[in-house]
Amino acid sequence: MHAIAFDHGGHQGGWTPIRPVPPMSDAQRFAELIGRVAGADRTAFADLFGHFAPRVKSYLLRLGAAPALAEELAQETLLAVWRKAAGFDPAKAAASTWIFTIARNLRIDAARRERRGDVADDPSDAPEAEPAPDARLAAAQSEGRIRHALTALPPEQAEVVRLSFFSDKPHSEIAEQLGLPLGTVKSRLRLAMGRLRESLGDLA
Amino acid sequence: MTAPTRHPSEALILDLARGALERGRALVLRAHLAVCPGCRATLGLAEAVGGAMLDAAEPAPMAPDALASVLARLGEPPPPPPAAAPHPPGDWIRVPADVLAAAEGGRRQAAPGVWVAHVTGEGGRSGPRSYLLGVGPGIAVPLHTHRGGEFVCVVKGAYKDRGHIYRPGDFVENDESVEHQPRVTRDGECVCLIAADNLLVPRSIQARLLQPIVGI
Repeated sequence: MHAIAFDHGGHQGGWTPIRPVPPMSDAQRFAELIGRVAGADRTAFADLFGHFAPRVKSYLLRLGAAPALAEELAQETLLAVWRKAAGFDPAKAAASTWIFTIARNLRIDAARRERRGDVADDPSDAPEAEPAPDARLAAAQSEGRIRHALTALPPEQAEVVRLSFFSDKPHSEIAEQLGLPLGTVKSRLRLAMGRLRESLGDLA
Repeated sequence: MTAPTRHPSEALILDLARGALERGRALVLRAHLAVCPGCRATLGLAEAVGGAMLDAAEPAPMAPDALASVLARLGEPPPPPPAAAPHPPGDWIRVPADVLAAAEGGRRQAAPGVWVAHVTGEGGRSGPRSYLLGVGPGIAVPLHTHRGGEFVCVVKGAYKDRGHIYRPGDFVENDESVEHQPRVTRDGECVCLIAADNLLVPRSIQARLLQPIVGI
């Protein structure tokens, strides 16, 4: 697939590629960067940091974290990326998925500490100590498809998925916020998950 | 072991992926996931959605010295790895390490043939809690209902409840409308990992007498 556009400028009336076909997808590029980070490459780390830290911070702010905590956890997330990079398996999950789970776990640990007022849990606890998924749905190649499938969801399904991930509220509260019965919210989520699964069907 | 036949809803798996489950509930769900490839695939999908959402998030500017301060910390020694998980008994499904540690350290006899080991919540007077419940062959749990909901994952053995038999790895969600008296099958002891929003609501004298002792 070539990205082309008609160039009204200096060229003699032709179709000019304005953007070369990218040598690799974002997901592949990030996976490659994490591989270099595993080899202690600080330049690759700075690249990853530049892309993901502001997004992790944004995600945490959307979940209601105070700005100072969002900043701290975004930094901690990227520090954990540095430490765990050798354990990243691009066949198992896209870079963005892996980083999402790290940020989520750190957020859960921080909330737990705040409630108990006690010392840090090891952020590398349960979720990642689990056995590898047998069905590797979330491989790097599938990342673009998920993103595409998300944009193709009917708006009412996309809305409940978005509200779910940008909140840690129970679905009953999300339903209240939308003025919908809980059953409707749940069935929209189920339909959305079904569509997303279908969009990955031939990768499963 | 045969694959579990009773599964959590997709909404619950989504809750786990987005980090919205109370800790004890998350442990019960993870115990099921450890033996259920289908539900793990759903979790993988839900986490991939989270990843896509993260990637699509509008970047929020970091503090000016953020990168420099993280770069300065890269050489710090990492936190010590978690202590090695105790080995699960051979006839149990694989359960999260926290659960095994609780099972080893804190088993309390609750009645003849019945033991409880608290995992989270420590069995206080109210609020969410999770625990392992071991019940001997043929014994029935006294009639009770629930305030709030309850998640159950069978860790070993089997029990019968309102016409169904639940076996290792099966996941059940009970709500306040459920009044029941589950009974362990005669084949052997049954161990379940349970997360409840609150103390059980006893519906028999037997259950009422036991409750202050066991905190479930």
